[in-house]
Amino acid sequence: MGSRILLRQCVKELRNNNKQWIERAIATNAQCNTNKLVDINKALEVPEAEQESTEKFLNPMEFDRQQQLKKYIAVSSQENIPIVTGIPEEHIKTRRVRIYQPPKNAMQSGTNNIHNWQIDYDTRERWENPLMGWTSSGDPLSNLKVEFATKEEAIAHCIKMQYEYEIQKPNRSQPKPRSYGENFSWNKRTRVSTK
Amino acid sequence: MLRLPLVRATGLSSSRLGAVGLHTTGSKSQASQELVEVFIDDKPVQVPPGTTVLQAAAKAGVEIPRFCYHERLAVAGNCRMCLVEIEKQIKPVAACAMPVMKGWRVKTNSDLTRKAREGVMEFLLVNHPLDCPICDQGGECDLQDQSMAFGNDRSRFTDIEFSGKRAVEDKDIGPLIKTVMTRCIHCTRCIRFASEVAGLDDLGTTGRGNDMQVGTYVEKMFLSELSGNVIDLCPVGALTNKPYAFVARPWENRRTDSIDVLDAVGSNIVVSSRTGEVLRILPRVNEDVNEEWLSDKSRFACDGLKRQRIITPMIKIAGKLQSVAWEDALVTAAKALQTVAGNEGAVIAGKLADAEALIALKDLFNKLGSEVLATEQGFPKDGSGIDLRSSYLLNNTIAGIEEADVVLLIGTNPRYEAPLVNTRLRKGYLHGEQTIALIGPNIDLSYEYENLGDSIDIITKLKNGSHPFSATLKNAKKPLIILGAEQLTRKDGAKIVSETQALANTLGNNVQASEDWKVLNVLHTNASQVAALDLGYGSTIEDVKQQQPKVLFLLGADDANIKKEDFPNTFIIYLGSHGDQGATIADVVLAGAAYTEKTGSYVNTEGRAQQTGAALTPPGMARPDWKVIRALSEIAGHRLPYDNITEVRSRLEEVAPHIVRYGDVEPANFFAQAHELAKQTGGSFLPDPVDIKQKTLDQFFMTDVISRASPTMAKCVQAAIKQRQTEL
Amino acid sequence: MASVSATTKYVRPVLSLNKNEARKRVLALYKLWYQEIPQILLDTSLPVTEKMCFDKLREEFRKNANETDIRVIDFLIIKGEQDLQETLEKWKNKGQLMDYFKVTVEKKPSDFLGKFLSGQD
Repeated sequence: MGSRILLRQCVKELRNNNKQWIERAIATNAQCNTNKLVDINKALEVPEAEQESTEKFLNPMEFDRQQQLKKYIAVSSQENIPIVTGIPEEHIKTRRVRIYQPPKNAMQSGTNNIHNWQIDYDTRERWENPLMGWTSSGDPLSNLKVEFATKEEAIAHCIKMQYEYEIQKPNRSQPKPRSYGENFSWNKRTRVSTK
Repeated sequence: MLRLPLVRATGLSSSRLGAVGLHTTGSKSQASQELVEVFIDDKPVQVPPGTTVLQAAAKAGVEIPRFCYHERLAVAGNCRMCLVEIEKQIKPVAACAMPVMKGWRVKTNSDLTRKAREGVMEFLLVNHPLDCPICDQGGECDLQDQSMAFGNDRSRFTDIEFSGKRAVEDKDIGPLIKTVMTRCIHCTRCIRFASEVAGLDDLGTTGRGNDMQVGTYVEKMFLSELSGNVIDLCPVGALTNKPYAFVARPWENRRTDSIDVLDAVGSNIVVSSRTGEVLRILPRVNEDVNEEWLSDKSRFACDGLKRQRIITPMIKIAGKLQSVAWEDALVTAAKALQTVAGNEGAVIAGKLADAEALIALKDLFNKLGSEVLATEQGFPKDGSGIDLRSSYLLNNTIAGIEEADVVLLIGTNPRYEAPLVNTRLRKGYLHGEQTIALIGPNIDLSYEYENLGDSIDIITKLKNGSHPFSATLKNAKKPLIILGAEQLTRKDGAKIVSETQALANTLGNNVQASEDWKVLNVLHTNASQVAALDLGYGSTIEDVKQQQPKVLFLLGADDANIKKEDFPNTFIIYLGSHGDQGATIADVVLAGAAYTEKTGSYVNTEGRAQQTGAALTPPGMARPDWKVIRALSEIAGHRLPYDNITEVRSRLEEVAPHIVRYGDVEPANFFAQAHELAKQTGGSFLPDPVDIKQKTLDQFFMTDVISRASPTMAKCVQAAIKQRQTEL
Repeated sequence: MASVSATTKYVRPVLSLNKNEARKRVLALYKLWYQEIPQILLDTSLPVTEKMCFDKLREEFRKNANETDIRVIDFLIIKGEQDLQETLEKWKNKGQLMDYFKVTVEKKPSDFLGKFLSGQD
C-alpha cells in the first residue's frame, strides 16, 4: 500500500513535469549514493522564476491558460455525476434507495458493527439457478451495501448519484437499568421465583 | 434449583397504590440527584447513581463481554465473563451487577481483567462440546465470538481420549425449540426470560457445579406464545430454531428489515432469506413497539409463505378454478367490473392488506361509483364512527401501557391477540405494580388480574360507580382502558363503544395525569385494520351481505366468514397470496404478494405507520397487490393515475398523510368530541356474555392465511392441545 | 427526492475554462468522428451505411445536449476521444461497435400495463 501511494505520487508529479520526483525516486532507490544525488540536483536546478519567465516569453497565451487552469471556475453545485460514471440510466432513475442504520442482530450481543449508516437498493427479481440452485439476479446492485459514517454523508451520496431515497428512522434503545438487588426485594413483584 | 415461594402482593390494592405513588416520587427525586463521575479506562463518564459498571462502560463506548447479562432481563451475575478490574480493589468485580461508586477507576483491558476473562472462557470451553461445525449457532454465537476476542490462544485441554467432557441429555421442549443441552453454559437467560417476560415458571436449574442442568423440572414442553425468543437469547447453540435446524448459515442469508403483519402490533422484524425462500424471521429492536421480542406466530409462520400459494391467476371454468394468463384473468374481471353501475360493487379487505392496495382499490371502486368498502372486522358506524381516529386507536401507545397503574381490559386477551402488548402489561405488572382487571371469560394472562365477570353491562356499572372496582379505577393516577376490537363486531358494538367512551371520559376528567395521557385504547387484531379505517373503509360485512353487490372484490379476505351461498348472484374477484377460504368462492382469482414480497405500508394498532421491505419477489406470476389493481383498472377503463410506488404513496399522502410518515405515531385527541357524538347512540347491551375467540394457546397459532398454511404452526397447535390434555 | 437548490460552487477546471471553449472542443471531437467514419467503415465492414453512422453520431452527441456543467462536458469529451482512439486503433471489435446501434436489443415496454404483463418491475 505504501509503495503504491509513493508510486502514485511520483506519477502525479511526473505529470506536473516537476523535477522533484526524480529526486525522490533516486532517494529511495539509491540512498547510499549521496554524492551522485547532489550532482543531479545541481544539474536540474533551474530557478523557478527564470523558468516561468521563459515560458511566458515564448508562449504568452498558453502560459495564461496554464495559470488559469490552476485557478477555479464556477459551476452549478448540482453535478450530473451518473452521466460520467457510466451506470446505466435504468439503475439511476428507477431505483429506490433506503438510508438506514443497521439493526443489532438479535442472536448476538455485540454492537460494534452497527454504529454506521448504510444504503441499500430496492429488491429486484432474483431466481434460483436451475443448475446449481444458486441464486441469480439480473440486478448489479442487488448485493451492494454502502456504508457511511453519518446520515448526512449517505444523503449527500444519494443526491450526487440522483437516487430517489428515503430515510429509515434509527432505533432508539434505552432499556431501563436493572439492579441486582431487585431480585431479592421482599415486597416487589420483581423478586425472582426461579433459579 | 431453588424454588422460592412467590411473595406477591395480592389483594392489597390500597397499599399497592401507595407503593406506586412512592415509586414514582422516588424516581423523580432520583432524576434530580447529581451524577456520579467514574473513569472507564481513564475516560471520565457521568452516570446516575446506581448504574452498574457495565452500563457506565457502555456509555463510555466500551463494551464489556457478557453471557448472562441481558439488558431486558433481571441481572443474574452468574457467568462471570464481565469481570473487570477496579483500581484499589483486590478482586475483579462482576461489572453487570456492581453499581458504580464515585471516582471509581475501572480498567476493562488490564492484565487482571484479561486474565479473569481468559480463565472464565477456559472454564466454559472445557465443558463445551467442539461441535461448532455442526452447530446451528455457528457464525452468530457469542461463545465463538468472545472466545476469539477474549479467550486464551492455546488450550490446556488434554483429554483427547475423551474420558470425561460433561454431557447432558437433550430435552424435548416442543416443536419450535431444538435443544442440545451439552452446549449450555448456564447463563440462565432462558429461565429469566420465561419467568419474567413470558410469565411461565417452567424452566429452571437442577443440580450444582458440574452437574447443573437447565430444563423443565418435570418432562413437559416449553409452550408459550413467546417461546421463540429464548432462541435469540441463548448465547450458544443450546436452544436453536427447530424448523430452521441445519438449513442455512447466517452469513449466506440476505437480511431485509421489515414489519410483521400477523398481528396488529407491527413488530419490527428482519427477514432472513436465501434462494427465493424466507428461512427465518428474527425480531428487530424497536423500543416503542416490540422491544426485542417477537411472538411465535410471527417468527415461525414463515414456512407458510411457500405453501398454498396462488402463483398464477385463475378463472372458474365449469365450477373449477383453472390457471390462466394475466390477460385472461384481468379481462374477465374487468368485464365484470364494467357491468357495475353505481353502488353495485363492494370490497372486503382482509387482515393482511397493505395501505397501497387499500387505496388503489378504494380509488377504483369509487370511480365505479361504489362506496361499500368493508373490512373483515367492522367498526360500528354510530356516533362518530370511524371519523375520529381517537375512537379506534390504541391511543396511549404500546410503550405507554407500562406506565399505567390501573388497567381495565374489556373483552380482549392481549396474551394471544397481541403478545407484545401483553409483555408490556406484564412489565407494568412486575415493575410498576400495575393493577389489572378484565371483563371477559376466565383466561390465563400470564399475570394476576381481577376478573370482573363476563357481563358487558359491567362497563356501565363501572361508569356509574356502582361496581366495587370503580373505586380503584377512580383513584388511579394513570388509568387505562383497553377495549378488544373483537367485541365491536357484536350486534351491540356501537353501544359498547359509546359506553366505553363515556367511562374513559369520566376517568379522564378526574385523572391528574398529564394532558397527553389517553385513557381509551382499542386493541386491534388485524394488521390492515387501522390503515383501512384511516382510508375510509367504513362498512361492515353485514352491509355487504345486505347490499348483495353485483361484483364483490375480496382483497385477501379469508377470515370474513362468508360463503358462496350468501352471494348467489355475485361475481366474486379474489386478490390474495394464499389459496384459502376467499379463493375457493371466487370466480376470478388474482395472484397477489405476501408481506415479505412487497414494499407495503401498514399502520399498527397505536397508529404508527411502518413499511414492510420486499425480501423476495412474488412467486410465479404473482404481483404486488396494488399493481394488480392498477392493471385491472386500466383494462376496465378506469385508469388509476399512478404507475409506481412513489406515485401511489403520494396519493396515500393526499388521503391520509400520516401513512407515509414511517416510524411515527400520529396521535389523535378528539375524545371529548367522540364522546359527545357517542351520546346519541341508542340501543342497549345484549345479554350475551363477553366472549373472546383466542382463549387458549392452541387458538393462538392459526389465525390467518399464512399461519394456517404453515406446517410448523400446525405442529404447535397439536403440541399445545397434547400438553393441555396431559395436564388435565 | 428532496429538491436541492442549485447554487454555484468553485472548482478546478479539467480541460476547458469556459463554455465557449468546451463547445469548441465538442465540435472538434464531432468533426473528428465525422471525418473518420468512412475510414472506420472501410476498416471494419460493419453492416451499416454511412448515413446510419452519421445519424448515430449525431444522436450520441445530442443525448448530452442539455449538459451545462463544464467539467462534465470535459469528461464526456475525454471519453469520446478515448472511444475514437479505441475505434481507430481497432482495440474495439465489430461487436463493440455494433453496440452503439443496439440492433439486437429488444425494447422493454415502458407503459405500466406492458411492464405488468411482461413481468418486470
